[in-house]
Amino acid sequence: MTLPIISSGVVCPGGFGNGALRERWRTARVSDASESHEYDVLQVDRDAPELRRWESEPRLRRASPISYYLVEAASQALEQAPHIDRGRVGVVGTFFLGCLVYTVRFYRQITSEGRRSASPVIFPETVFNSPLSHLVSVLGLGGPVYSQVGDTSCWSSALRTAQTWLARGTADHVLVIGAEEFEMHQLDAFRAGGLFRQQLNVAEGAGAVLLGRDDTAAITGIRKVHDGFSFGNSAQAAEAARQCLQCVPPNCPVMETASGWMAHIAERAAANRRKISHPAGKIPEAATASCAWNTIIAAETISGGSEQEIAVPFWGLSQQCAMAVCAAPNAVRQS
Amino acid sequence: MRAAPRARAAVTGLGCVTALGKTHADTWSNVYLGRSARAPLTAIETEGCRVREGAQAELPDLGGLNARQLSRLSRASRLALPALRDALHQAGLLDEHGRSRLPRFDICASTTACGMEKGEEFLRGVWSGRNVGQTTRVRHYQAQQQIREMQQFFGFAGPSMIVANACAGGGNAIGHAADLIRSGLAEAVLAGGYEALCDLVFAGFDCLQSLAPEQCRPFDTGRNGLMLGEGAAFLVIESEESAKRRGAEILGFVTGYGHGTDKGHLTQPSQDGAPLEAAMRMALKDAQTGANEIDYVNAHGTGTPLNDRAEAAAFARIFGETGARLSSTKAALGHTLGAAGAIEAVLCLLALRSGQIPPQINLQDPEPLVADALARTGERAEIKTAMSINLGFGGSTAALVLAQP
Repeated sequence: MTLPIISSGVVCPGGFGNGALRERWRTARVSDASESHEYDVLQVDRDAPELRRWESEPRLRRASPISYYLVEAASQALEQAPHIDRGRVGVVGTFFLGCLVYTVRFYRQITSEGRRSASPVIFPETVFNSPLSHLVSVLGLGGPVYSQVGDTSCWSSALRTAQTWLARGTADHVLVIGAEEFEMHQLDAFRAGGLFRQQLNVAEGAGAVLLGRDDTAAITGIRKVHDGFSFGNSAQAAEAARQCLQCVPPNCPVMETASGWMAHIAERAAANRRKISHPAGKIPEAATASCAWNTIIAAETISGGSEQEIAVPFWGLSQQCAMAVCAAPNAVRQS
Repeated sequence: MRAAPRARAAVTGLGCVTALGKTHADTWSNVYLGRSARAPLTAIETEGCRVREGAQAELPDLGGLNARQLSRLSRASRLALPALRDALHQAGLLDEHGRSRLPRFDICASTTACGMEKGEEFLRGVWSGRNVGQTTRVRHYQAQQQIREMQQFFGFAGPSMIVANACAGGGNAIGHAADLIRSGLAEAVLAGGYEALCDLVFAGFDCLQSLAPEQCRPFDTGRNGLMLGEGAAFLVIESEESAKRRGAEILGFVTGYGHGTDKGHLTQPSQDGAPLEAAMRMALKDAQTGANEIDYVNAHGTGTPLNDRAEAAAFARIFGETGARLSSTKAALGHTLGAAGAIEAVLCLLALRSGQIPPQINLQDPEPLVADALARTGERAEIKTAMSINLGFGGSTAALVLAQP
């Protein structure tokens, strides 16, 4: 597998563009829906001009925040590659929670006000693939489109989808995007699921990488994706993490990406590995968006010349581990 | 640039659970006889809805699980697990304990609502201050949980991808699985979809006034809505070499896959059917098959005025002069959303094998553009090649070409 990364885009609580990953992130103290606990949540500035510029798009008038995050991140990546044929750009969107804001709002409406009061405007926006439908319409993309869901390992399966499309000629370029929007019930769910038992900071946003077939314009590349390390409990997760890391040589540095209950498992699995950390510390947990951000950070680190190769694990959160190995274009070419 | 195909995608197992049967054999005989599963719904709350009927499946037995384990499973898993068992059994891939003979499979699956009723229970729990059982509800809501349960129930591991392209997702999952095989990126893939009825989605379609107040009548000029249903279907797809190596019977091939997005509107297909036509032509080209070689088309055919008009237009332009037979089985089984494309691919494969054509039921005044093509009850013909087509919210389209071995 060789997947050249042509460009990228970021919407995060630190702002907009790749540089925002190094900025100070907006943090707010937020109560969960049951008003029993408060947490520090890292949220995107939803009133920022970078997002509001899309409000005039008819398709986005009633869209949820996640659609705005997707469009902005994808737009940044495409603006850096102005000469590509947008009619041949495919899109794979990855989602852990998807359109949470409207889903909760719609269900609250039908349970509190009755089914006769359900809004036909809100319901379509609850569907997983609505954000990508808006995205391809607004940005005029003409290639294939998949919305893929799952735990954070679905980022790796999206990379494999991109690989398949590029290999089969279904698309000339593929945008792979991770996006999540915060909604307060997420805190109740994470607490019930035990995700707050270890240090975990919830965040939201989006990250996009534009992949192509031709590596001459690449900032870096993805040499290989290792996935399918399934687990059902913490013991199996430890074994899956160990097997996943065994796929790269011992001297390959590993990016620190784990959070929550997987953090100590990942720490143990990578105990003898050299670690790569983001200068501002570990990226908070925005599920698929974090996967995108970590991939972008690895790509930037490699293009900066300080590393030739970095393993970026996606530890899942509930089902399987996976890993992408990012490498300098010349290293990818030689592989 | 198109890479040269390195392998053919052979189907060696198929299985489904629908409102007309707990196995593919039961479903097939009832569909062919022209039955409809429409009945009052009991699995979900419909109080206050304009329509209170649909196609509800009877949950098959899952031997080996106790009552507590069963109660933790989402309804989606209660449908998906037996459908996958049906497929693995037919492929000869289950041992005497009901476990997979192969330790690794790729999975390509489709769903739109995952284990939604667990998510609904969770939200009601939060709002009522009820904390007991919330952990289970959170864990069993998400789509990857149903995949994990498949892996644990049958004892295999491997990469999984869950495509949520609304009602086209089942076709996408199968098409993508075939692409993985044909690209040499996978040797054996379990591909399919699952969908369980749930309050949120039913109320959503009801508020859109998309549900048929009486019988669902695809391609009838008096059609007035769809019938929501539930079910699951899976195929075992492997390279032809893999199938031959292990002596498996090849039931058919996935020879073509086309897909795309109708960018015009979030919920309404373009009325000229052009985006769907593009996906259908892409599938034909991929299969290196002419339109006149397609003997049967299983339409998306929801029974809504806009969907069927777009689909009839696309069908007429491609197959208007070819004599291909056409039907929508959603009048019988309901619209199973993320599972629809998978269930309909199973029906196409069974038509290839049996020469029986699923009839278009509930017709009174056929849509003129396709009137001559609509299959009648009891029709038989040699079906060498079939096409299954799907459209979905968000404009997703998918078309599969399936061929006899």
